[in-house]
Amino acid sequence: MDALRYTLKRILLMIPILIGISMLTFFISNTIPGDPARLAAGPYADAKVIEELQEKMGLNDPVYIQYFRYMKSLLQGDLGNSNYSHQPVMEDIKQYFPATLELTFFSMFITILIGIPLGVISASKKDKIADQFARVLALIGVAMPAFWLGIILLLFFYLKLGVLPGSGRLDTGLAPPETITGMYTIDAILTGNWTVFTSAVIHLILPGITQAAVTIGMITRMTRSSMLEVLRSDYIRTAFAKGGSERRVLYGHALRNGMMPIMTLLGMTFGHSLGGSVLVESVFSWPGLGKYAVNAITYLDFPAVMAVTILIAVLFIIVNLVIDILYQVVDPRLNYE
Amino acid sequence: MLLELKNVSLSLKRDGKYVKILDEISLQVNKGETVGIVGESGCGKSMTALSIMRLLPEKAKLEGGILLEKEEISSYSKRKLEKIRGDKMAMIFQDPLTSLNPLHTVGRQIEETLILHTDLNKEQRKKRVIELLNEVGLPRADEIASDYPHQLSGGMRQRIMIAVAMACNPSLLICDEPTTALDVTVQAQILDLMNHLKDVNEMGIIMITHDLGVVAEVCDRVIVMYAGKIVEQAEIKELFINPKHPYTKGLLDSIPKLAMKKTKLGSIPGMVPSPDKMPKGCRFYERCSSAMEICREKTPPMNLVGEEHLAACWLFEEKEGEANASSRNKGLEATLHH
Repeated sequence: MDALRYTLKRILLMIPILIGISMLTFFISNTIPGDPARLAAGPYADAKVIEELQEKMGLNDPVYIQYFRYMKSLLQGDLGNSNYSHQPVMEDIKQYFPATLELTFFSMFITILIGIPLGVISASKKDKIADQFARVLALIGVAMPAFWLGIILLLFFYLKLGVLPGSGRLDTGLAPPETITGMYTIDAILTGNWTVFTSAVIHLILPGITQAAVTIGMITRMTRSSMLEVLRSDYIRTAFAKGGSERRVLYGHALRNGMMPIMTLLGMTFGHSLGGSVLVESVFSWPGLGKYAVNAITYLDFPAVMAVTILIAVLFIIVNLVIDILYQVVDPRLNYE
Repeated sequence: MLLELKNVSLSLKRDGKYVKILDEISLQVNKGETVGIVGESGCGKSMTALSIMRLLPEKAKLEGGILLEKEEISSYSKRKLEKIRGDKMAMIFQDPLTSLNPLHTVGRQIEETLILHTDLNKEQRKKRVIELLNEVGLPRADEIASDYPHQLSGGMRQRIMIAVAMACNPSLLICDEPTTALDVTVQAQILDLMNHLKDVNEMGIIMITHDLGVVAEVCDRVIVMYAGKIVEQAEIKELFINPKHPYTKGLLDSIPKLAMKKTKLGSIPGMVPSPDKMPKGCRFYERCSSAMEICREKTPPMNLVGEEHLAACWLFEEKEGEANASSRNKGLEATLHH
């Protein structure tokens, strides 16, 4: 009950935050020089057409009127039409966002699977060879630019060995599965289409690893330092005094206690990659939100810019909320207040 | 005999070199007996306990023999140690709040000992946890089992720690300052409980404390440690009535007594020498009021100074060199077979 009330309260708190963000984005994008009408009309349109278009798009009204008009349709689920793709922005997002979501889930999965155990090992074997190895690995992961790693992986696995595909989400010739979530792997499972599933997973590997490299490095380092702190605690000694094995003490007692900072960082990186990782998506021609956002900015496609910004803000707030709720699942000392 | 330490020495690595923390500690604990280890902080009491449990820092060098129920456990592998820790020997620590995992219910923490050392199934374990909670004097056991440590009071937490330690009926229980972090009234309750449990389960207890009041309350025999060495050991009454070693006398003088007029409490001048700068002779030499020339030069041997009463001090050196050694051994043996 407490948990439910807390969650509702937090969701209500999202409203003022979102209003603030929408205002900021709207006014900033309106002060940027450049005329959306001219861009939409194309380079050869004459002045009269542009003027008509300006009137039609409501660009001549005061900014706050334009803002209220935008918010009104936003509340009805209408994000406006893209000036570039000439279709509703909502449709664009439905198309691009699941790709990013899929890539993010995949890379977070790799991050958790590798980063956390690596950090635990690193902490439990402090200053020994395993620790040095893990630390160097983490450092490389953090220090290496993602696009560079992406290109190297492409050169090696795609061009040289030819074992992994280098771009897109599916093999050419394969039709995407029926859209349920928009994530090809999930949709393929739901429709039982295993050829598509395999192809989708194979296409995720290189961009997934590239995206995960940095976060693995960060999570490993965070896990290590958090665990080192926890391993000095008295209750760890108690767990050993009971006859617990090292493995049991590390994973059964220490890790959960060291989870807080790790969760915070995971949440932040998760939110971040949901916003679309422009570089990774560009290198692997991944049709995701990051790529869409860059296009939108380049073409001064205000409805798209607004939509992406608000979407990312909402995602960040949701991820934060989930993490805050998880804190309390992990630590009973925290109350829902 | 339950536990015997034979010339146990411990060195820890500090700043790249090994420093001797414990020097030739020999002691015995019998079944159903409570042995107190007293001394100032840093004298090696806790390290003695951790050496027995082998819960030592990674770079520790342990020498000498540790026999638990006639088994040499100082050479045990990690795996074998895990089997007897929590089962045959258990330990209770000073601060029950930090010694319990804050994220697990206390019931689960007691149950863990059972999971590790018994074949009981889930039902049986649950029953045993309730039983243990009742044994350590906690009412409403089934409610408390699902509480987290932060929801309990200090005394209750220490009772939980005792339940964790008692879960498998260990034959040896080591208590490292178990009442130091507790209120005085709660202290007495906890000590009563431990006395009771000892009688019921025939355990041997090592009670580490700097509080001579606690020693008087529960111990049968006392070992006084100073700077990593045992300086005196005796029966509880004997030690309080007839302390021999100047250090023990100093310790006893520093306890306030009701009968005493408001005079200044006795205190021992000076400081404990640091482990890497131990003097050649007696370690108490610098602070001792009855120091002699020989004290600076040679480490005093354990001398038999009364019935089952040993003190490492040159004041009590027996005159004949030969008889010295043999009577010393006799004294030790008397203590052993007590």
